[in-house]
Amino acid sequence: MTNTTYEVTGSTPFLGHQPGETFDAELAPDVERRALERGSIKKTTAKKKEDGDG
Amino acid sequence: MAKRIALKDHVSVDSVDLSNFARAVEFTSEHERIDVSGFNATGANEYLAGQTEQSVSVEFFGSYGTGEVHATLYPIHKDREVVAFEWRPDQTAPVSATNPQLEGNVQLLTYSPSVTRGEEEAWTAEFVAADPAGLTYTTTP
Repeated sequence: MTNTTYEVTGSTPFLGHQPGETFDAELAPDVERRALERGSIKKTTAKKKEDGDG
Repeated sequence: MAKRIALKDHVSVDSVDLSNFARAVEFTSEHERIDVSGFNATGANEYLAGQTEQSVSVEFFGSYGTGEVHATLYPIHKDREVVAFEWRPDQTAPVSATNPQLEGNVQLLTYSPSVTRGEEEAWTAEFVAADPAGLTYTTTP
């Protein structure tokens, strides 16, 4: 299983993550496709923000 | 168990948290009533539970920002997609026996935004269960 790092880019939380947060997940292909198309998330290489950062 | 005022509900469609854009939820689960009555001394009817029809209606505020209501719902309808749906009473607490979550895979067969001049844009979307698992309440995260 390979996780991908995503950033929440829309104005609404996604999978429990707030806008601007990054998270690691292995999304189902259809879920990922729709989320990328609507702009809810984007793939990122940025390090995942840990709780308490910032 | 205490009575509650619905204020903190969690509503998610296709993993997008649309809670702040929703203001009413109505879940319906109905078994078809099959009349299997035969002649009998009392004249009373006898029924069996038949096929199950499930749907959940959500009243949304119309919003057109990135990842908001229109951007989430319209592609699901247009492309006939099956997506995950979640609703639970308290978004600030995890799923539990006292915060059960209705969840399942749904389709949005009708997309019908409507507006009236001078009023907030709000309209109801009806999601129907899309697979044999149906819409069920879970009590574990």
